[in-house]
Amino acid sequence: MTDQYKYELVIIGGGPAGMTAAIYAAQAGIKTVILEKSVTGGLVNSTHTVSNFPSFPSIHGMHLMEKMREHVDGLNVPVEEVCELEKLELTSEMKTIETDEAVYETDAVILATGRKPIPLDIPVECEQVHYCAICDGPPYKNKKILVVGGGNSAFDESRYLLGIGIKHIHLVEMMDRFAAAQSTREELFSSGCVTAQLSARVTDLVLEDSNLVGAEVEDMKTGKKEMIEVDGVFVFIGQHPNNELFRSQVNLNQQGYILANTDMSTNIPGVFGAGDINEKVYRQITTAMNDGTIAALAAERFLRNR
Amino acid sequence: MFTELSDTNFAETISTIETGIVICFKKLCPHCKNMEKVLEKFAKKNAGVPLFNLDSEENPKTMEGLKTDRIPTILVIKNGTVAAQKSGLMNPKEMIAFYEGV
Ligand SMILES: Cc1cc2nc3c(=O)[nH]c(=O)nc-3n(C[C@H](O)[C@H](O)[C@H](O)COP(=O)(O)OP(=O)(O)OC[C@H]3O[C@@H](n4cnc5c(N)ncnc54)[C@H](O)[C@@H]3O)c2cc1C
Repeated sequence: MTDQYKYELVIIGGGPAGMTAAIYAAQAGIKTVILEKSVTGGLVNSTHTVSNFPSFPSIHGMHLMEKMREHVDGLNVPVEEVCELEKLELTSEMKTIETDEAVYETDAVILATGRKPIPLDIPVECEQVHYCAICDGPPYKNKKILVVGGGNSAFDESRYLLGIGIKHIHLVEMMDRFAAAQSTREELFSSGCVTAQLSARVTDLVLEDSNLVGAEVEDMKTGKKEMIEVDGVFVFIGQHPNNELFRSQVNLNQQGYILANTDMSTNIPGVFGAGDINEKVYRQITTAMNDGTIAALAAERFLRNR
Repeated sequence: MFTELSDTNFAETISTIETGIVICFKKLCPHCKNMEKVLEKFAKKNAGVPLFNLDSEENPKTMEGLKTDRIPTILVIKNGTVAAQKSGLMNPKEMIAFYEGV
């Protein structure tokens, strides 16, 4: 039999937005649970060094998130990790959430599902294509890799990869300039271990016995294709909003981000959006926490005024 | 929940296990943390299957023997030997299918 639970507030997503919301909700005495698809910490877990989080001049992302989780645990908020959400019914007064193991009924929901990396658009299954330098970088020590993308993420992750002993990075960017900050670019290029190509895109991967041996890169100005010998590919070409669960119910902008009001409320009473999943200009840990704070306080007011 | 293995005791311990699961992990690896939670869930439904872990960075000899440097890597132990091994993330359903397929 499926387990049944009743909460006042269900927070979907346990990144910094969701965990901050949980802290505020618990302190307001709201019966709250976090449902997390993976493990708590969200995107921050994959960030090697966070150096802009006030009060920690430099901290590993996972350590920062462990501290946040300890705070949540200290307030006895239950957290369901590796929790597969299957169905969400948000529009009725009593909202229901079905997971692979249980059904949750709740008066209010905070959607804090964040974003996920945009995959490389190549119709080839390849185990050597990665989206997380911290997770998958170490096996490429003393090897050559291709980095796809020219923004801050691509440059920051490339710096990390060089730091763990990658022999050479070939960096490919589709646009005719790099979006990354100049200081980051200069630091990476001064290593002497990086070659870079603008106006270029990866069009195919070359495998031998299911192992990557190279990537085909097209010069988008001339149409000329060249095979670059690499052992692995790391892709940092941006993020997509994680909205699959609720996109038919919650008002989103064209890119799929939640159109939340200044109090984080959405078009559905009792449903709030927080963090990177919301339409906004700047997506940072601190801005996600800001949203989580406001969403929890607004949820508390909503529950009180019912 | 996990019993720690090392280069020193890996072979000897494995040889005594009828059925079990090992996760080769690295510290500060989000995918490993995720996979650990998947295994904890798996263990709740398969109470008789013991879980072990091996720090891949501190135990290079065992990793070399397994011919992998990818993490997380999951080993299914049956009758004292590594019956199957798989690298990368699995969700709980995939983990059960992997274990039952051995
Ligand atoms: C490479 C990189 C480096 C960065 N570096 C910094 C930095 O140095 N400083 C900084 O301030 N910011 C940094 N950021 C941005 C920062 O990581 C994000 O702004 C922040 O993590 C957003 O928090 P969030 O809680 O909204 O979303 P996330 O951190 O993305 O968390 C969302 C959570 O929701 C879960 N989820 C998704 N879908 C579901 C579902 N269907 N069911 C249940 N759970 C679900 C996810 O598993 C995840 O745990 C970086 C981002 C990237 C990509």
